[in-house]
Amino acid sequence: MSWKIWSLKKSVWVFHVNTGACNNCDIEIVNLLTPRYDVERFGIKLVGSPRHADALLVTGVVTAQAAPRLRELYRQTSKPCVVFAMGACACQTGIFNGAYHVVGPVDKIIREVDPNAIIAYVPGCPPKPEAMISGVVKALSIL
Amino acid sequence: MNQEELNNRLSEIKDKLINIEQTKDSRIFLLCEAENSFAVSKFLFEDLALRFMIATGIDSEDCFEILYHFSNDGTGCVVTVKAFIRDRENPSIESITPFIPAAEWIEREIYDILGIEIKNHPNMRRLILADDWPEGVYPLRKDFKR
Repeated sequence: MSWKIWSLKKSVWVFHVNTGACNNCDIEIVNLLTPRYDVERFGIKLVGSPRHADALLVTGVVTAQAAPRLRELYRQTSKPCVVFAMGACACQTGIFNGAYHVVGPVDKIIREVDPNAIIAYVPGCPPKPEAMISGVVKALSIL
Repeated sequence: MNQEELNNRLSEIKDKLINIEQTKDSRIFLLCEAENSFAVSKFLFEDLALRFMIATGIDSEDCFEILYHFSNDGTGCVVTVKAFIRDRENPSIESITPFIPAAEWIEREIYDILGIEIKNHPNMRRLILADDWPEGVYPLRKDFKR
């Protein structure tokens, strides 16, 4: 294990990106950070800039307006980084599949920038906070 | 204003309407042509003091419809002005924003995604579609192809 991966897994700093979510996943993410689940005790911390982050937490189907911004955010995130696609929309466009404003699921947009990106999927509408924690643990344990 | 008063006052503008449909006690539709919708909305808002809730734009194949929904909060009755725009080539309707400022954004949204020109709107810009969305393509029209 390289020291970069070791330090990434030690304490994951997360930048939250909303690329057109209905806010339901975002509410569940707030739930993760508040005292009931309090993921900060595992070292998972929300930061204000992608340059400080080890992981991008993406919610929502990627709209035409948000796609260039998501690409730029991925470019600015320090590597190596993990992209978490949270919720049915981010994983596979969900109920918005084929709508006029949708350009694709999160993984398609990220792979345009970096074909070897590490992407973890947590499906659900919205996923339960337990499912999100489990997704993060699984993703980090196979790195 | 109770239901009976409301019904009596609505009959004052009968000459501007095609028809008054009442589907149940708390739901009234006022059908009119686009030219009269401004006067009808103004009457509901200023004379009857109904609350403007929202407007809806529909593409119904042979014409466009704009529905202005007003609420009589005393009884919970919803009065909808259904304006028909027959001209499909250059659809346009008079803006109600000059006397209902709350209608500004919904009228901009209708302009943006249905392509209906809103006349005399004080701030007519696009609202909701992506910045690089092509001009003249309206996603909520029936003939829109992705």
